[in-house]
Amino acid sequence: MSEEAEAALAAIFRTEWPRLVGAALRIVGDLQTAEDIVQETLLAAVDRWPLLGVPERPGAWLLTVCRNRARNLVRDTGRAQQRTLSLRPLLAGQAPADGEVREIADDQLRLIAMCCHPLLPTDAQVALTLRMVAGLTTEEIARGFHQGAATIAQRLVRAKRTLKEHRVAFADDDPDVAGRLPSILDVIYLVFNEGYLATTGGQLTRGDLAAEGHRLACLLTELTPDQPETWALRALLSFQLSRWDTRTSADGVLLTLDAQDRSRWNRELIDDGVHALARARNGERGPLLLQAELACCHATVPAFAATDWGAILALYDELQAIQDTPVVALNRAVAVAMASGPAAALPLLDKLTGDPALRHGHRVWAVRADLHHRLGDGVAALADYARALDLVSNDVERRYLADARQRAADQYRSRA
Amino acid sequence: MNEFLLLGTRPPTSGETSPARAAHDMAAVTAWHRWLRRWGLLRAFSLPQDRAAELRACLIVWASGPAAAQRLGVGWGRVTGYQVTVLPLLDGSAGKERER
Repeated sequence: MSEEAEAALAAIFRTEWPRLVGAALRIVGDLQTAEDIVQETLLAAVDRWPLLGVPERPGAWLLTVCRNRARNLVRDTGRAQQRTLSLRPLLAGQAPADGEVREIADDQLRLIAMCCHPLLPTDAQVALTLRMVAGLTTEEIARGFHQGAATIAQRLVRAKRTLKEHRVAFADDDPDVAGRLPSILDVIYLVFNEGYLATTGGQLTRGDLAAEGHRLACLLTELTPDQPETWALRALLSFQLSRWDTRTSADGVLLTLDAQDRSRWNRELIDDGVHALARARNGERGPLLLQAELACCHATVPAFAATDWGAILALYDELQAIQDTPVVALNRAVAVAMASGPAAALPLLDKLTGDPALRHGHRVWAVRADLHHRLGDGVAALADYARALDLVSNDVERRYLADARQRAADQYRSRA
Repeated sequence: MNEFLLLGTRPPTSGETSPARAAHDMAAVTAWHRWLRRWGLLRAFSLPQDRAAELRACLIVWASGPAAAQRLGVGWGRVTGYQVTVLPLLDGSAGKERER
């Protein structure tokens, strides 16, 4: 089997995973049992397909095996009577009817809503979503977050136990997706960001997590096509992911927007972002939509010099009016520097370096160092670079800052 | 050449799997079976009706002797994760017929 065929197979399994978990959960009602059944289903495919060939409709095969296994389990444990009442007649091996397709979609949505249940802390919501919806193993999740597998395993076990203890039902008529949408979007964005802006470790990006975050966002738009906010998230992530391959050079050096090769940006993802953004504009101008608009400003201009910083600043003003966080203020200060020059932005930065949420991170110091450098204040620039270097935890960013500090130091030394 | 029966069983608790891992495993198993067929060593196979049974698959293979059959069993176990039991089926007669 070629690498291409393996990738295609992995894509099928990834797509089917949440459907299978949802279908099994609908029958057995317990997250852990549903997970076991889905694993068993995948193993059955691994046993059989190499000998029998991949079935014509692999998704239908998996769903049938999964449901049969779930039903057998329920029957074997003597609970058939109470459960089968809620089951629709499911025909083995046949194409799902329209109603069933809807049911599968609803099941996936219920599954996501269940994983993002307000009873669970955010880190548990993230871990559970990655395991149950994205199908990542405990080990893969642990690797993605640079944490021990035992920690993630405990988190998953506790989360499942909490849901079980509180008798969180799966097959309710109303999965309360609308009410839980903000936390679902938060979880997906968190997954993406952990991959895209890795906070620790030797790599700037952790591809699998970012790709999973994007995939989950796409899945969510398919499941809730009428929710503009989900489209806004998809647009934002598509734009950000489009630059994936160009964010570091071949030798692992961080490349900022002005240094990236735009011809290598992923056009398909940018087009997807533009399409998703158009759908998102049907809704309110919330934080996600505004962030997507900002990402679009960068993704759709042919050259860094052509960036419309005035439009970007206006969007940041709008964003800050509804979400006045230190991070937004920092990004807005960068836009001010680009639109009106570093001198205009410096007072904003001075204020932000005192912010408790920012002063222990490296970014505010790195931005101020750059502004000082552009204004020719070598002493202040070098001091801020040193501060940023003390605080940065990502190796790629540390290297970038060390190079920037070195360049600044060389420049001032040669002037002296 | 002799016929041997290879019985592949999977322990009930075989750890977690993920879509990517399952696809990777399947690619490895497919490649191994392709190799077995290309060399004309696979005579027949059988799969249990219960897909979740501990016994996952049986192969009837040609091998020059017990040691060669054991090696095939080890290879199969390595790519599938099965515990493989190797049993001789016939005492060379089928092999002789094949050689004719």
